[in-house]
Amino acid sequence: MPEYKPRVGIYGFTGCAGDQLLIIHTEDRLLDFFNAVEMRSFVMASSNPLETEIDIAFVEGSISTEEERQHIKEIRDRAGVLVAIGNCAVSGGPQAMFAKDGSFARRLKQVYGDIKFITNPVEGAPLDEVVSVDYYLPGCPISQSQAMALIARLIHGADPEEFPHPVCHECKLNENLCLLLDQKFCLGPLTLGGCHSACPNNGLPCVGCWGPNPDGNFEEQLGLLESFGIPHEDIIRRVRNFGGYKILAHIEKLSGKR
Amino acid sequence: MAKRDTIEIKPLARVEGNGGIRVEIEDNRIINVEVQILEGPRLFETLVIGKTPEEILSLVPRICAICNLSHKYASLRGLEKALDVRIPEVTDLYRHLMHHGEIIESHSLHLYMLALPDFFGYTNAVEMAVDYGEIVTKALQMKALGNKIMRAIGGRMIHGENPVLGGFGKLPDRECLLSIQTEAKDGLAFALETIEILADLEIPDHMERDTQFLCCKPPHNEYGYYGDVLITSDGKEHPAEDYQSVIEERVVSHSFAKRSSYGGRPFTVGALARVNLLGERLKGEARKAYDGLIHDRWLRNPLYNNFAQAIEQVYSLEGVIETIDRLTTLKEPETAEPNRESGVGTGAVEAPRGTLIHHYMIENGRAVAADYVTPTAMFLDDVEEFIRESGERLISTKTTVDLELQFEMIARAYDPCISCSAHLVTVEYK
Repeated sequence: MPEYKPRVGIYGFTGCAGDQLLIIHTEDRLLDFFNAVEMRSFVMASSNPLETEIDIAFVEGSISTEEERQHIKEIRDRAGVLVAIGNCAVSGGPQAMFAKDGSFARRLKQVYGDIKFITNPVEGAPLDEVVSVDYYLPGCPISQSQAMALIARLIHGADPEEFPHPVCHECKLNENLCLLLDQKFCLGPLTLGGCHSACPNNGLPCVGCWGPNPDGNFEEQLGLLESFGIPHEDIIRRVRNFGGYKILAHIEKLSGKR
Repeated sequence: MAKRDTIEIKPLARVEGNGGIRVEIEDNRIINVEVQILEGPRLFETLVIGKTPEEILSLVPRICAICNLSHKYASLRGLEKALDVRIPEVTDLYRHLMHHGEIIESHSLHLYMLALPDFFGYTNAVEMAVDYGEIVTKALQMKALGNKIMRAIGGRMIHGENPVLGGFGKLPDRECLLSIQTEAKDGLAFALETIEILADLEIPDHMERDTQFLCCKPPHNEYGYYGDVLITSDGKEHPAEDYQSVIEERVVSHSFAKRSSYGGRPFTVGALARVNLLGERLKGEARKAYDGLIHDRWLRNPLYNNFAQAIEQVYSLEGVIETIDRLTTLKEPETAEPNRESGVGTGAVEAPRGTLIHHYMIENGRAVAADYVTPTAMFLDDVEEFIRESGERLISTKTTVDLELQFEMIARAYDPCISCSAHLVTVEYK
């Protein structure tokens, strides 16, 4: 009996394509990945996609046009498991930094004028604003080791393991000096880890690009940064740069308390 | 009754981002060609308003993963001019090394993984590997070398934060630089072999027509990927800060990328433009490769962009070797500080797929205006014109070739980067 290979589709919506590129950048393991599955659709790497029922869909990017809203629903309908890969798919990405503040229509008009496009643009939103998502693989871009671990688990029918640790966790393991001790604007405590603390390793503060860690103590961190003399509105502006929809819950909780 | 037909290629595969091609034919005439950019707008120029240079520098690489360091570099050049940051020469050398890394990564990805499968008749590089295993394996090593350089200087393979205003967070040690240099020397043999493989390919001529070229002119007599002057194939030179009067922009409904023209006509940017305009400046093995391949048809045929990328791959490998020779004799630079908090600056670099411009107006340490002009948005008009020419010619000869494939190959040759292009916008806050 021939071995059953899971049918896989890799899709890119609005973003930088960095998460799909990272999969392509796995170099030799890319060939193993293609051989371990039945690759039905990976338009960035291959022509002739087969858009049929699939077992696993990996989806990068935010939903930013009406056509993309329809397309993600259509993928959801025929995918057994749907994984959001990368910050744009998980949180909405930088394009969602003004999420729900009502400025999108004005900014769109500023940029393109009054033209009507073949598909209506909408403000960038994470996948789970439109469809249900089974697993999240955060990152900006995703990490190769986390991606390969998740892919290996899924193609063997196992549940992927979550990595619920902040950047600080890996930063400590890398024995870096804490930048907060120098009163630097570092978002490590609030930010999902998995990047191996890439920026603090180079003496640079975490900018929060993987989006918020759900367990982060936002209120405490805010107080600490304010004690450095950083204005409240600057902190909120900066956490929103990459926080998208997922940071909004933290901010709302805070305003309820204050 | 007029006979109407429409060719829809959607999605356009093996390019970065979400796009398509639509060609309408009536009575054996092409009546409309649209290269559609369907990826949603992200309005990056509105996202950086009110932000500090540090925030801008971490946001802009996210415009595009493949050329993330070109965006970082263009942004650094623009912001450093605006804020009068005077970087030492050795900092520039590290940046050139980083840029060579990105060119190697991007060109090898495009040339071997995205373009070559068409010429050899496969749908992707993994299928091609069954018959051309050695090429694909060596191509992956080449791409890995590009990534290694980007990681070493950028701080991460994609979206590294290591290049900062005036300098770097941390620089690679001597051992790392030397290992990169060794790999570049090894890679050079395959890059030269690639030149020979390409020399044997037959390149179709059904799309050939005259066009124009534009690229940055390096501030010295050598080849290079940056400059404060734009040169065009009519022999004119333009200060980079005048880009808005050189590159005329307009909005079309089938594309979230704005469209561009020069002197009212489409133009090409990228490796082909650079090699056509600056090729005589090449030296060493890159010069030999150039002398062996260059031909009049390069001025009329976008498929030669693949060849031009192969020449630049040689140039950049030699550039890596030479730059590391110099860096290992020099002391690490100090980070330069801004001399002012307000100012205006235009940064121009050559991204792998063409000229990239970042323009900023900074007031009291915050951006009040920003403008990005990306290569894909510059050349889309030219892609449409070449597809139109090809379609007219092929239909009139009642050819049996696969029209869709020919159109796709034209678009793909430009190495379009759709993520980048969907942000060509201007925002001025008064």
